[in-house]
Amino acid sequence: MNLTDAFNIIGSAFATNAAQSAVIAQNVANAGTQGYSREVTNLVADPSGGVDVESVTRVANNALTEQMLSANSLSSSQQALASGLATLAQTVSDSTSASSTSGATANGDSPSAMLENLQNALQTYEASPSDTNLAQAVVTAAGNLTASLNNASATVQQVRSQADADISSTVNTINSLLNQFQSLNTQVVSGLKTGANVGSVEDQRDSILNQLSQQIGITTVNNPDGSMSIYTDSGVTLFQGNARSLSFTPTPNLTAGATGSAVTVDGVAITGANAPMAIESGALAGLAQLRDTVAPEYQAQLDQIAGGLIQTFSESDQSANPTQPNLPGLFTFPGATGVPSLANATGLSSVIEVNPNVDPTQGGNLNLLRDGGISDPGSPIYTYNKTGAAGYTGRIQQLINGLSATLSFDPTAGLPASQSLSSYANASVSWLQGQNQQATNQADYQNTLASQASSALSNATGVNLDTELTNMLTIENSYTTTAKLLTTATDMFSALLDAV
Amino acid sequence: MSVMNTSASGMLADTQWLSTISQNIANSNTTGYKNVETDFTALVDEIASPNDPGMGVTTSMQTLNALQGSVVSTSTSTDLAVQGTGFFVVSDSSGDIYLTRNGSFTPNASGDLVNSAGYYLMGYSVASGATAPTNESLSSLQKVNVNAAGESATPTSSGSLVANLPSTAVPVAAAKLPSVNSASSVYTDQTSVVTYDNLGQAHTLDIYFTNTGSNTWEVDVFDHADAAAGGSFPYSAGPLATENLTFSATNGTLTSGSPITVAIPNGQKMSLDLSNMTQVASAFNVSQASANGNPPASLTGVTFSANGALSYQYSDGTSQIGYQVPLGNVPSPNNLTSLDGGCLSPNSESGAISLGNPGNDGLGSLVPSALESSTVDLATELTEMIQAQSAYEANSKAFQTGANLYDVLNQLHP
Repeated sequence: MNLTDAFNIIGSAFATNAAQSAVIAQNVANAGTQGYSREVTNLVADPSGGVDVESVTRVANNALTEQMLSANSLSSSQQALASGLATLAQTVSDSTSASSTSGATANGDSPSAMLENLQNALQTYEASPSDTNLAQAVVTAAGNLTASLNNASATVQQVRSQADADISSTVNTINSLLNQFQSLNTQVVSGLKTGANVGSVEDQRDSILNQLSQQIGITTVNNPDGSMSIYTDSGVTLFQGNARSLSFTPTPNLTAGATGSAVTVDGVAITGANAPMAIESGALAGLAQLRDTVAPEYQAQLDQIAGGLIQTFSESDQSANPTQPNLPGLFTFPGATGVPSLANATGLSSVIEVNPNVDPTQGGNLNLLRDGGISDPGSPIYTYNKTGAAGYTGRIQQLINGLSATLSFDPTAGLPASQSLSSYANASVSWLQGQNQQATNQADYQNTLASQASSALSNATGVNLDTELTNMLTIENSYTTTAKLLTTATDMFSALLDAV
Repeated sequence: MSVMNTSASGMLADTQWLSTISQNIANSNTTGYKNVETDFTALVDEIASPNDPGMGVTTSMQTLNALQGSVVSTSTSTDLAVQGTGFFVVSDSSGDIYLTRNGSFTPNASGDLVNSAGYYLMGYSVASGATAPTNESLSSLQKVNVNAAGESATPTSSGSLVANLPSTAVPVAAAKLPSVNSASSVYTDQTSVVTYDNLGQAHTLDIYFTNTGSNTWEVDVFDHADAAAGGSFPYSAGPLATENLTFSATNGTLTSGSPITVAIPNGQKMSLDLSNMTQVASAFNVSQASANGNPPASLTGVTFSANGALSYQYSDGTSQIGYQVPLGNVPSPNNLTSLDGGCLSPNSESGAISLGNPGNDGLGSLVPSALESSTVDLATELTEMIQAQSAYEANSKAFQTGANLYDVLNQLHP
């Protein structure tokens, strides 16, 4: 130890103070930066007695990061589901007032409300069956009902096709994020090896993870060399050493009953009913649930309503010894050759229509509504009003009763199987509104959890200006003291030189 | 008579002393410089009578090569300092070996590490993947070159996988196991690990875990490149490895089946350690999946470690040892012949060079990104300068007095 050493030590102290100030300046400047983790200077005494900046490390909290990622994933899966359900719920535009009452209002255009309108028109018609104006009102109400079913079915298919397209773009986003992650991950690993400051790269890497967690539920594993591996929440490898690729074949037009293709990672399906390792959260999971479960279920309910209508309004052989099968009456669909069973109703809601034989605008006869024989005008087989009496109400009465008669619906559509057509239609509206409400509530709740997790992480790893200012004062004091030391050492040298 | 000769020799010695002091002061900022000490020796006329006062003084200079200078950090990764007794082994352009403490090495145009005095750093080339040599000989030393490695790949030879398998899984029928490798094969869980063959080609290994019964699982490893369109069964080639795992029914730890040996296509046999796998009632969850090896990557830089290993850093984040830099020493370092540029040459008095690796042969350790500063202490030198000046003045007084005596003697003559 000599005076020259003192100068070296003073020099190292100055350099260290400068490095520490730079890190504090960076922290303060980034106090408001989203996703910035504060950095800390690690000092070490060097062999000659001076001080060195050994490394600048970034404050991290893996447990809170994992929690935030998982909350993000859950929140975005519910959001994807809720936005799809909101579109579906528009098919029951009487939703606002419906929740308090029966689920259908006079001016709503849900299939349930339209069915009620039809029922009312039939009852009015029953009072004066000779009035063709009232018959026309029944046909109009029936037309509104089929239009409502057609619209709802088209919306379901549009929602499913949109979800399918969204899945495709989500898959592209995930693939692109994974590739970005790969390059940042490499920079972190090589930076740590060469002792470079990788704080900002790690911030970027975390930001990629954050974006990724919104698209797909992930868990991460930190490796000893500073690299990271990413797995889906179901355990499928997304990144280990290099990025795995997600593949998906979009289906341009998803019709009723058609299932879209599954998203696969290296051949392992992660969405769909038969996926061995299905993901549970993230926008991808929400979209897949919408496309594969929720929307098809609503579609099935609409199909059941359509099938129930065709069955209720079908006409039977009125001969003394019936030999002919039932045929569709007021409600039919193009190419109908018979009455389809309710277990076989897939897609009916998109094609159901009012029989042209009873629609005057298409050359039909309104009186067939009262007399029967819509399926085969003129033939005596399906004619209920054998005498042609203008006051005949037997058939109309039968139709009104049919609407409240208990049918056996297909239980796979998610609603109780044994109930009347009108209560089934009501239940379907309530089901959709319930799903919508639940998804919205869940999305809100998960969103709150995600922002709480995010602020917990920010509290743990973000910049606290008070702490930074205190550190700055400490460094300033140290700098002043070092400058004083330098003056003293210089004075000592001057004294020595003066002595020569 | 002798008084004038003696004080003249004293003045000469003080001049020598002053010149070494000025040499030290001039080199007070030279990297690796060791200060020179002036030793005084009394001269005695052995033929004269015992009462003779002597013949004066002579000086000898000694460079204090064994001194440790302060190690000061720099920002250049190839700046080196020795903390301890050893010396860097360097050579000049003709290949002669020298020692030095001047470690300010930078790569020249061809990538050889050269210090500020123009001497090449010498080390042992370590073959790809080999450990540092222990047999040190001067003849096997070669110039350390930071460009030498170029593109480099390391095949995978070991890996480890730690995951939990769900104990609640439903067993799969024997005819449908992944080992059957048919389109109808089913599995319980899947993960994958990236490995590298002999030429650094990446092979993603698909690893399937299939429950076969209570606490028993089958693990099958396939090369993902063989997968059917869409990336799954059937693979065009059978599994690279199939093994049955058995877990303890009492605590869910693995009881048999680890490690498994996987022959990587065109590569080495990888020993995949599964010993930390568990089987408890929780979802499938991978907590570690890794394999060694690296793909071909270009050089991004070099780093030194305290034990003298020069590592090449590659663009993919991996590193590989390229050279082992030894330290040298001689039995009597202070007797080394000093040459220009802080270079020291061994001679018969210093003894021959012996080599050893930094850190474990008593030669001290290497400090990367640091330089050893000069051992000269200006305060000491300035103090000695005042002493030398005073001694010179005293000698000149003695000479003056002797001269005066002669004058008196000469005046005795008429």
